[in-house]
Amino acid sequence: MFETCVEIRNHYSDYVDDLCSPEDRKSIRYHLSFCEVCREQLEQWEAVGEELRALPRRRVPPDLALRLRVQMSRRLNNTPLLALWVRLENALKPLLIPATGGVLTAVITFCLMMGHGAPINTGPDVTVELVQPARVQQLAPMDFNTGENGVVLVTQVNAEGRAKGYRVLSGQGSPEMMQHLDRMIFFSVFRPATLFGKPTDGEVVLSLRRITVRG
Amino acid sequence: MGIARSVGITLDQTLPAVDERAAFVAELQAGSQDAFAYLLAVYQNPVFNLVWHIVENSADASDVLQDVFVKVFKGIKGFNGDSSLRTWIYRIAVHEASNHRRSWIRRHWREPVSVDDTESPSAVAAAEAASRDRSPYQVFEQAEREVVVKQALASLAPPYRAVVVLREIEGLPYEEIAQVLGLAEGTVKSRLMRGRELLRRKLAGYVGRDHV
Repeated sequence: MFETCVEIRNHYSDYVDDLCSPEDRKSIRYHLSFCEVCREQLEQWEAVGEELRALPRRRVPPDLALRLRVQMSRRLNNTPLLALWVRLENALKPLLIPATGGVLTAVITFCLMMGHGAPINTGPDVTVELVQPARVQQLAPMDFNTGENGVVLVTQVNAEGRAKGYRVLSGQGSPEMMQHLDRMIFFSVFRPATLFGKPTDGEVVLSLRRITVRG
Repeated sequence: MGIARSVGITLDQTLPAVDERAAFVAELQAGSQDAFAYLLAVYQNPVFNLVWHIVENSADASDVLQDVFVKVFKGIKGFNGDSSLRTWIYRIAVHEASNHRRSWIRRHWREPVSVDDTESPSAVAAAEAASRDRSPYQVFEQAEREVVVKQALASLAPPYRAVVVLREIEGLPYEEIAQVLGLAEGTVKSRLMRGRELLRRKLAGYVGRDHV
């Protein structure tokens, strides 16, 4: 049993926290029933506690909460490889749109240029070899007699496939024969010689001999 | 995660009943982003409130709060479960806040303090926000009482203030307060009694039979 107000006041803290033993609590209550001063002090203790508990609780400002989350994320992802990857990603991301735009523009420009500027080869395919000699494509009809030994001549063919001239290597060289040869070569069609696939001047050796078939 | 999370972020109003089972701590130690996000959501407001009452300044409290969670992130791997997770975090918070306060006093004790540093306007605003259905007189009275109570609390010596804040505002039991502050339970009791008595004397004109 507490005897004095001082003794009682030493137990206020336990009393308001409900940590007194039943005997102490009973003794304090008994004292309070007749001691006006102690009762008032205890009420003040309880009121102070209520005032403290009623203080508004401070909340973290949104920007600070965000900073904390960012900090947490940094801490958790603090491996060198990941950090390198993040840095690389951050460095490349701003370039992504300009680079894509640049590549697309280059492709479109290239396609446009290739589509309109370059000549389109619509003719038959030509064997692309280093050198192709000129050849006869279609020989004009031969309505004259070349004699027993025939006529051998060299014809110069230009890049357009036309005969520029010819030279008789062997055989008759009469003016009448030359007229026949002029006419025949004029109406013949040649395929020009090619160098790396490009038509160029060339020569064709022709051996003419009239063959008569009975029947 | 196998931890019940239905309590959500609002838990910080009444101190978090965080499930501190070993599984949750293990997740934190394994570096789970979800676990850390949950830890932040639950503890950031109580820790901020605690730190604010010790450093008495929002800007300083923000700095200290960041330092606290940096230490938590760094030190969680070394947490061995001797105390509860809450006690461990609060211990770091009190330690950081006390260090910050000491260094702040060393740096600024000769400097004049701007009136803009006082928290009164925000207290009034908070009281206004919380009491929209009250008369202007009641709002003003409540705001004034809050200012007076805060000033009385701030005027307590740091050892008493820390104990009073942990007990009266954060609602920690004596045993946990002793663990947070690294004191004997008897010391906590005596400091709490002394702190309460000092507050009663400072607030005698504002609280009690005629005012409550």
